[in-house]
Amino acid sequence: MNPDPATFSPEAETQLRESLRRCSPETVMAAVAYRRTRDPQCLPALIGGVFERYIEPEIRPKLASANRDDLRVIEDLGIDSLTLMEIVMLLEEAGGLTIANDELRQLRTLGDIRTFVDCRVRGLPYSPPARLDHEAVLAAMPVQPPFLFIDEAVISKTSISATYRITGEEVFLQGHFKGNPVMPGSLMLEALGQLGVLYLVSGQLDDANHKVDSGSLLFTSADGVRCHRVCRPGDTLSLRLKPKRIKAPIIVFEGDVRVGSDKAVGAEEITLTFGFKETPPTA
Amino acid sequence: MPRVFITGLGFITSIGNDAASVTQSLRELRHGMVRYAPFERDEIPVKVAAPVRDFSTEGDEPEDWKTPERYRLRRDQLRSLSPNALYASCAMQQAVEDARLEPSDISNDDTGLYAASCGSPGMLSRILNRIHAQGVMRSPALGIVSSIAGTVQFNLVANYKIKGASTGFASACASSAHALGFAHDEIVLGRQKRMFVVGAEDGNLETILPFASMRALSPNPDPATASRPFDRQRDGFVGTGGATVLVLENEEEILRRGVTPYAEVLGWGQASDGHNVAISHPEGAGLRTAMLHALRTAKVGPADIDYVNAHATSTPIGDASECKALRAVLGEHASRVALSSTKALTGHGCSLAGAMESGFCALALRDGFMPGSAHITELDLICEGLNIIRQTHATAPGVVLNNSSGFGGANVCIVLKRPR
Repeated sequence: MNPDPATFSPEAETQLRESLRRCSPETVMAAVAYRRTRDPQCLPALIGGVFERYIEPEIRPKLASANRDDLRVIEDLGIDSLTLMEIVMLLEEAGGLTIANDELRQLRTLGDIRTFVDCRVRGLPYSPPARLDHEAVLAAMPVQPPFLFIDEAVISKTSISATYRITGEEVFLQGHFKGNPVMPGSLMLEALGQLGVLYLVSGQLDDANHKVDSGSLLFTSADGVRCHRVCRPGDTLSLRLKPKRIKAPIIVFEGDVRVGSDKAVGAEEITLTFGFKETPPTA
Repeated sequence: MPRVFITGLGFITSIGNDAASVTQSLRELRHGMVRYAPFERDEIPVKVAAPVRDFSTEGDEPEDWKTPERYRLRRDQLRSLSPNALYASCAMQQAVEDARLEPSDISNDDTGLYAASCGSPGMLSRILNRIHAQGVMRSPALGIVSSIAGTVQFNLVANYKIKGASTGFASACASSAHALGFAHDEIVLGRQKRMFVVGAEDGNLETILPFASMRALSPNPDPATASRPFDRQRDGFVGTGGATVLVLENEEEILRRGVTPYAEVLGWGQASDGHNVAISHPEGAGLRTAMLHALRTAKVGPADIDYVNAHATSTPIGDASECKALRAVLGEHASRVALSSTKALTGHGCSLAGAMESGFCALALRDGFMPGSAHITELDLICEGLNIIRQTHATAPGVVLNNSSGFGGANVCIVLKRPR
């Protein structure tokens, strides 16, 4: 499956350069380096460069953002399924790998694609992020309405993201503020904390003998929190957390809240504590 | 019964890339033939073609192609185009502007599009080469959409969000005349209020040279005389490409929008030779019947006809058959009715021909002229009794016929009339 560096002939390089002729010089360099060394470090530049070639010029600056991995291929980059197929085809050609149709359908964000290609070239199994609809979120969470600020969520080992639409029916908006409903910054922080809870109870840290105890979770601290934008009824919050450090019983996330492409809240660290409940092996 | 009018035109042709320059070429008998560079190899016995100007479709992918500045196509629109669908997209833009159509006039349940092209043999061969050389999954994802017959309507219907009737026609050189005829019927039957009719061809080595081995192409290397329908020395046709788009609308739409039509489509007819797969009937039997059907549905007779735009492609047999059919249909009026083949100027564009030449007739009806039959040095005896005009006449025709004939002996005749 993986190209053998020994077989990367000058003819193959010429063909690779021809295939990538509309990509940036950095992309071509990354592709050539990858084919010579099979070093997965080359992949982010290759993948990013191949995407850039297919993205309309006015959307390209988004690729430079720090949250590049969170960009949704269809919604944020304006790529339809046919274009995604073209991108995959060029990635296959440049990276010397194959991606099947059903695998393609699981890849929603640039991060998904990067992780997928990374797993593929390392020969590791790839499991797509789990998608939880509202029913599944309600079933999983120890927190419940009217104090639950997660509608739907997408969870992988390396990140969790969710949406919450401010409906205007929230009881606290009646008083915050008088005649001027604004989502409190403290509750957006609460929403991020809830997202950390969902990460923990969704089994990301579980193994055969240990399961995170959903009754054990507590908020500990938040550091480096900044609010940038007022959020009102009708806004859909995009919540995101990434685990930075995990050392039981402590887990530290970084995260943010966005509305569309506007950043509403950033948090350098959100820390929760958790405990495991022993699950004795069933004999 | 609803009446059908032509209200907009768009042209990408060897004799001009808009209605104004096409009109000028028709009036001044300027042809579009050149010594065609891709034919320069010694073993190719054909040297002349009539390519589209100001475009380049040389590269493997549409993103490599060059298109005049006024046509802006996004990458996601370009990627599924063949050269003929690109020309059709540009002609479509012209026709929409010419007919003064708003997006809401185009994208609705009452507006459809009928098209004709032979697909793109050039694109298809590139794709097959890639499949053989680099693997099945390495051929362009939309290669099939860009290369098969139907590529014109696939692309235009999607890009213009057309919601009414859409399909393609495949009767070779009669295809876009069939498209025009059936589009007329959609409106007459009340199914649609407006129809776009598109004829298009790549007009490159891959579409033209396959006609060489059947000796259908002129081996004459002189661009000024290679295409000479009705001339005693004619020895085959000259290939061309491009696109023409016609906008057809019913009377109600014309009044609602306050536009002045070029012409009325009075009716049409079709019939088949039932004779040979590629050779026209020696007496022009199918074409004769097609013309008679057309006159009957248009409720006009030979006495009403002022001009005929002949199919005549400059092949020895085809032109002779058409002359016989015309004499039989026009009878005593044969020596009066002006007759010409504009293929002397444009060359022959297969699926493009019917729409392009009906477009020329629409220009002639609006601007009041009858284009001459160029490049005739010595009129062939087969033309005896017919009024072949060698110069453009500055007289306005009232009713005109446009003939088209294709492989399998398919024949179509369209009847157009100057509106009031």
